[in-house]
Amino acid sequence: MTLHESPVGASFRVTAVRLSAPAALRLSEMGIRLGTLAYVSQRAAFGGRVVAVAGSRFALDGGTAGLIDVEALAGRP
Amino acid sequence: MSCHGTAPLPLPVLAPGAAAPTRVLLVGGPNVGKSTLFNALTGARQHTTNAPGTTVELATGSWRTAVAGGRPAVQRAVVDLPGTYSLLARSADEQVSADAVRELAQHAGAQAGTPGVVVLVLDATALARSLYLLAQVAETGVPVVVALTMLDLAAATGSPTSHVPPETLAAVLEGVVGVPVVPVEARNRADDGVLELARAVDAVAAHPRQVTDLNLAAPAPSCGCATAGDPPAPAPARSGMVGADLTLELAHAEALFAWVEQAVARVTAALTPDAAPGDRPATSASPRRSFSDRVDGVLLNPWAGIPVFLAVVWVLFELTTRVAAPLIDLIDRLVSGPVAGGLTALLGAVGLGDTWIQGFLVDGLLAGIGTVLTFVPVIAVMFAALGVLEDSGYLARAAFVADRAMRSLGLDGRALLPLIVGFGCNLPAFAATRTLPHARQRLLTGLLIPLTSCSARLTVYILLAGAFFPRHAGTVIFGMYVLSVLLVLGAGLLLRRTAFRDVHAGPLILVLPPYQHPHLRTLGMSVRMRVGAFVVGAGKLIVATMLVVWVLMALPASGQHTIGDVPIKESVYGEIAAGIAPVLAPAGFGNEHAAAALMTGFVAKEVVVGSFAQSFAVDEPGDPSVAGSLGDRLRDTFDESSGGHGGAAALAFMVFVLAYTPCVAVLAEQRRLFGWRPTASALGVQLVVAWALAVAVFQVGSRL
Repeated sequence: MTLHESPVGASFRVTAVRLSAPAALRLSEMGIRLGTLAYVSQRAAFGGRVVAVAGSRFALDGGTAGLIDVEALAGRP
Repeated sequence: MSCHGTAPLPLPVLAPGAAAPTRVLLVGGPNVGKSTLFNALTGARQHTTNAPGTTVELATGSWRTAVAGGRPAVQRAVVDLPGTYSLLARSADEQVSADAVRELAQHAGAQAGTPGVVVLVLDATALARSLYLLAQVAETGVPVVVALTMLDLAAATGSPTSHVPPETLAAVLEGVVGVPVVPVEARNRADDGVLELARAVDAVAAHPRQVTDLNLAAPAPSCGCATAGDPPAPAPARSGMVGADLTLELAHAEALFAWVEQAVARVTAALTPDAAPGDRPATSASPRRSFSDRVDGVLLNPWAGIPVFLAVVWVLFELTTRVAAPLIDLIDRLVSGPVAGGLTALLGAVGLGDTWIQGFLVDGLLAGIGTVLTFVPVIAVMFAALGVLEDSGYLARAAFVADRAMRSLGLDGRALLPLIVGFGCNLPAFAATRTLPHARQRLLTGLLIPLTSCSARLTVYILLAGAFFPRHAGTVIFGMYVLSVLLVLGAGLLLRRTAFRDVHAGPLILVLPPYQHPHLRTLGMSVRMRVGAFVVGAGKLIVATMLVVWVLMALPASGQHTIGDVPIKESVYGEIAAGIAPVLAPAGFGNEHAAAALMTGFVAKEVVVGSFAQSFAVDEPGDPSVAGSLGDRLRDTFDESSGGHGGAAALAFMVFVLAYTPCVAVLAEQRRLFGWRPTASALGVQLVVAWALAVAVFQVGSRL
């Protein structure tokens, strides 16, 4: 399942990031890495997603969200 | 030596006789309160300047603190660097920050010259992200002090730092990272954090301390700047890291992430000593919906988000047009009325009345200064509005909402804002480009703004559409706006595929800051600093251009008139217009009246109608849609110069007005923000494009 497919309120763990290496590194630097626990806090236009990670909120466009693989967790982490 | 052979960062002007100040760099991510802290440190002693060799704007200032016992105040030279998440730069702006830190590290390592300290602004709501940047900065060897900010917002995030007194959090963090950590509430004037920060900076400058447990083997820097004395290496394309470089960077980043995780775990353990590890607060996500989440539920809603964004842009548009208009009128009346009257009377009293000197000073110099001042309200209103949007946290949301619209041009969603504002007035639109995080995106947007049809051009459309197409004037004017949009899109796509191939919309990953109310004092200081930079930076060129125009109009082309007392047609200005007219003949308006109006329009489009009236020696119509005798003269002249196709020639003239340089103020602002080369190139291209489009319109129109 990708982040793009995760419903609002769903908790997940990041299992793979299929972005280019520099983009994946920047994502890591900002706080989203393999194993990161988060939940989808908001759905936006054109497939965009807002993700909550450790008190921060990240906005990702639909294409990027579709390149982040996640596994669903029960409830919010 | 800077990392890539760039010149050292500029330092603020200090009091005469002052000792060499400690250089202080403010380093931190976007929206962590860095600029608020800068304002609290420097007060009014600040100004903006571009980083050497770049178009990246920096704020520099002098930070003084009083010393007891009558000794002189301690001064520090502070630079507010562009926000960055990492020293692995992805843009020109981030590169400036990374270079500045490395340059300071070299100076600190050399044990000579000016001492320097990095104040790392650490966001209490995002410990891990800030600690990663701290680790990178500390690895360079530069002395570091941590300023802990966003404390008021941390409580609402559900992070491990929630509900922990700032002093406790700072003490725990200091114990973990090993360098001074000072909680600062820069918005609170009563807060003594700034004074504490000054003490920490001075202490660390004298006795640097190292970040704890950060004994990582840094990757061999590809810029070759780690060793003082090495010759400068060419700037690496960090955004295009490949091969061994990238592998090294990734491996090293993983090691830093491990250090960050350990540090966060130690902080969490220290703050919740009685809880078992499994019972400690989750560090991965907020356990509840925050106030910002609830607001985002509306502002980022798939259906409501775009209308809200458009409403915000509409408000900006109205602010820079309708709201600023009375202030502009007031300044205009003041300068052209009492001030000009007073200056004229003064010159008369000293025997210079009715001389060319009076004309030069009143109609040239004072009119030029007046023109600059009339732009102040619109610029100030725009900067204030942008500041409110930025400080409140909405601007990042605007980038997210408008991302799809600008993606095809390779631009950030925030670029839509200046492009729409440009339809009101191009000048504040340039102010709005500062919200774009990348220098190349700012330049590309700055080149597209002049193609947005500002309201000043509307008066020309109304005059000519009313005079030549009275039954279809509305359709013609609407067509000009459609053409303007097409020009922006066409030029944007063309530039992106040619000179701006490096500008591309990568993955959109934005940190959304929590919503908060803007701080008026900080906002006011920022507006004052930016308006001052415009008046000084762009104002000189505007005044100089106005003076040149006055001189050309005042100089007689023959000996039949005296200086300052010559009809325009017989002035040097008129001669130049007559010389240009044949170039415009293929577009159907090769007459000196149209050429003179276009030359005047270079100064400001608002005066094109007046220029026509002056040129034809008729009264300027109060309402350009009812042109009266001016309309008759225009029809006669355009019919004559176009061989009976006056309508096609008028249409071509309108297209020329749309596509060529909006006004000298825009030119001056372009030069201030982007430098001479792109400004001169844009000027040349706009003239050629305007001419080519006008010729095409006339040649096609005259054959229909």
